[in-house]
Amino acid sequence: MSKERKKWFSLNLRNKEQNSCGCSDSKCSDPSNKKEDGISQVFDVNMDRRQAFKKLTAGLVIGAGAVSSSCSVVSDEKSKEKSQIEWEEYFKGNYKLMSDEEKRKTVNRLVRSYELRNGKKINISSKDAENDVLFGYAFNISKCQGYMDCVNACVEENNQDRASQMQYIRIHEMEDGKGLNFGESDDTYYHEVPAAGHFYMGTQCFHCDNPPCVEVCPVQATWKEKDGIVVIDYDWCIGCRYCMAACPYDGRRFNWTTPEIPENEVNKDQHYLGNRLRKKGVMEKCTFCIQRSRQGKNPACVEACPTGSRIFGNLLDPKSEIRWILENKKVFRLKEDLGTEPKFWYFMD
Amino acid sequence: MTVLRNLIKDSLIYLTHGRKSYHIWMALLTFIMLIGMYCYSLQLEHGLSVTGMNDRVSWGLYISNFTFLVGVAAAAVMLVLPAYILKDIDFKQAVLIGEGMAVAALFMCLAFVVADMGGPARLWHMIPGIGVFNFPNSMLTWDVLVLNGYLFINISIPFYILIMRYQGKVPNPKIYIPGVFISVFWAVAIHLVTAFLYQGLQARPFWNNALLGPRFLASAFAAGPSLIIISLAVIRKFTDFKIEDKTITKIALVVTVAAQINLIMLISELFKEFYAPTHHSESAYYLFFGLQGKAKLVPWIWTAITMNVIATVILTFHKLRNNLTILYFACSILFIGIWIEKGFGLIVPGFIPGPWGKIAEYFPTPTEIGVTIGIWAMGAFIFSILVRTGVAIELGKIKFKK
Amino acid sequence: MTKLNQSLFILLMVISMISCKDNHNEYHNLIDKIEAQSINFQKDSVFSNNQFEISELVKIIDNQPAFYIKNRKNKIESYACSECHDRPLDELQTENLGKRAHWNIKLIHADSKTMSCLSCHNENNLDNLHSITGESIDFNFSYQLCNQCHNKEVKDWKGGAHGKNLSGWKTSRVSKLCIECHNPHKPSIEKRWPDRFNTQMVDERK
Repeated sequence: MSKERKKWFSLNLRNKEQNSCGCSDSKCSDPSNKKEDGISQVFDVNMDRRQAFKKLTAGLVIGAGAVSSSCSVVSDEKSKEKSQIEWEEYFKGNYKLMSDEEKRKTVNRLVRSYELRNGKKINISSKDAENDVLFGYAFNISKCQGYMDCVNACVEENNQDRASQMQYIRIHEMEDGKGLNFGESDDTYYHEVPAAGHFYMGTQCFHCDNPPCVEVCPVQATWKEKDGIVVIDYDWCIGCRYCMAACPYDGRRFNWTTPEIPENEVNKDQHYLGNRLRKKGVMEKCTFCIQRSRQGKNPACVEACPTGSRIFGNLLDPKSEIRWILENKKVFRLKEDLGTEPKFWYFMD
Repeated sequence: MTVLRNLIKDSLIYLTHGRKSYHIWMALLTFIMLIGMYCYSLQLEHGLSVTGMNDRVSWGLYISNFTFLVGVAAAAVMLVLPAYILKDIDFKQAVLIGEGMAVAALFMCLAFVVADMGGPARLWHMIPGIGVFNFPNSMLTWDVLVLNGYLFINISIPFYILIMRYQGKVPNPKIYIPGVFISVFWAVAIHLVTAFLYQGLQARPFWNNALLGPRFLASAFAAGPSLIIISLAVIRKFTDFKIEDKTITKIALVVTVAAQINLIMLISELFKEFYAPTHHSESAYYLFFGLQGKAKLVPWIWTAITMNVIATVILTFHKLRNNLTILYFACSILFIGIWIEKGFGLIVPGFIPGPWGKIAEYFPTPTEIGVTIGIWAMGAFIFSILVRTGVAIELGKIKFKK
Repeated sequence: MTKLNQSLFILLMVISMISCKDNHNEYHNLIDKIEAQSINFQKDSVFSNNQFEISELVKIIDNQPAFYIKNRKNKIESYACSECHDRPLDELQTENLGKRAHWNIKLIHADSKTMSCLSCHNENNLDNLHSITGESIDFNFSYQLCNQCHNKEVKDWKGGAHGKNLSGWKTSRVSKLCIECHNPHKPSIEKRWPDRFNTQMVDERK
């Protein structure tokens, strides 16, 4: 009784063809049911043992095809390598649990796969977190003028889908005198900035120290790294979007379709957990530009902001700028009462 | 082994014969399932962008139906408990129907979850051992465990009973009673765990309240048995299976109490949201009155509440409840009302407004609706098969011949 | 049945105890954790990643920790000022020099009671700036002038909360000088248009 359910999502295309085979075809009707009327002959195709058998053979054929294409001597070397890479990539485990050797192998596969598909070289780093580093971020509300330079820099740095205009960062234009009233703020403004009587606040993933998204992921595809960055293994994510429901800060984005980035805009300096190219059906988010911050650079948003409203640094270094801000400026975090301990502070001059 | 093979052979032969109406029903269901499969193939091809979901409202029609159907599955136990534990003979005939419904509903739940996944080919990542199973932190893993366990129980116990009856033997209570007992607790567990999925998210104040779990149970025990009553009515009409009026009216009593408790809980929720509205009440405002001019869900929720209230009132009066035609009407509107309220009216408003106060409304696309209807048809299909076989074995129409 | 009840209850208790979240937060909150785990982190030298040349930077040491700014003096085209200003200002004003050098510079900074050209420029030594008390200030350390009125902003700047950081988080800080963002003769920052307009987000909310 469960045959229909188990096969339907993997063989649905085949099923459609088989079931819609013209019922004037004598193969479809069971000869033992001759005594039934014409209607049952026409419609009685679904309960045959034949049907189950057809589906099984279809599955076998697909499987055999996959095997044959990778084992065939006559098929193209390149496509064989491609399918080999896809096969291995499909069956690899969770990145968090990989040994260094396995990490190196998967990075090599991904680099090679891109080369086979596009003929260009990229480099993907699998650099681990350094010791004694915990990243923190501060945002100066008085300084932000609403330019959105940070949004553009982030999109370009992190290879986000252009078609859906995905952006990790949102800049909210808020009215003076109403407090932090997000309900009445506007993040799709397009006029001269700064507009009189308004101030600007940026939000993105806050890399909580007690992240609710990490708690709820059923496969542990997202976790908090040692240096405090909350990352996602894009190949492990199953796309259930539970983390998206759990995030109070709208930090996560989902690839509802295959992301498209023009080839000449692809940022080729990538990190496995950061800005490498994602596929459809997986979650992504701000990674504090892990491909940059683990090389000692600032994230793209911090770099791009012309007013210096964004400050990034190592919270464990008592002499860092971020620590100076925490100690000398009046800082606050958003939705503090939810207990998520975000590592993103706001302050004013 | 031969018994099993014969059972399957006999069942298949029995299933492929029947009256014209039976064949038309099955054909219609198959046709709808094919539409669903086609829509799903579109979704596999293009990704979930073919649905109406977006980054703000990231769960929609699929998860709404999943939530509702877990409740329906849990409610089957309402028949199991009196039949086996209280040894109420009136319920015994209805039990197999109820468990068949639980199985069908569970398969629908699993199908909806798979349909909602962004990467269904990677679902093996959840299997402990070869994948990573984030138990006990993630409530989704708890849900996977309890749902599959419940499915196992609801397949194995009736299967055992049926295969005994098929051979003309008497099923041994010592084997099935413990399973039945566990399934009673388990049914409560599956729905509480599903409620905890939402209840535990501090990011969504619409769900993050203490009443969500009990509310789920109350609405499940109102909606599930309603559907069972309607199924029993259909089975009475189309088969020789004898179902006493007593059975139906007793189940109706369960529905009545559950519907009344459901209404009380609704009143409690409305009071909390609207007596001293806070920032957290915005989702409720959006749902019931519309917010910032956006009011897509307002007609739906008011229809649902009206249906619930009318149904509960009808059921409260003995005279009306014991009139079977009126009962069927009340059960239908109760079922639909709770489907709206617990599906659409719970999942979607939880996401509106978004975390930064913006409202992005949601409405399912035709593809999404196609897949949903396809899965409902699949559920009806499985249910029809199970009931047909179960009834036939009970009536002795299918017997094991040595 | 009661025995079954009991064993089920015990099972539930056991499950709830072993399934407690493995966050194991020994710290009550994040600030406690930061303070407990702070170490004497040594930032890399600012010249370690070839982003800047040694001649480009000037070290500011009247702050702990020291940080760097870019050398301004060797970028000003017309420095040294004394090459033209070799005679007193009132003498220069009688000569008919026409439209040369900074002939049309306007001062839009505070009001005439607070600021005039000579508030910052030392008319007897135009190669340097001078403070309110008449002390000489090198062009590279012009922030010391700004400090006279804008003490709060300069304090923030020295700490790293004001102004733009040109180096990464790992090396010693290189900050932009005040005047690299704020033209001292016209310090207010002009309005402009934002860099982006997200039409998808607008559509989503229709």
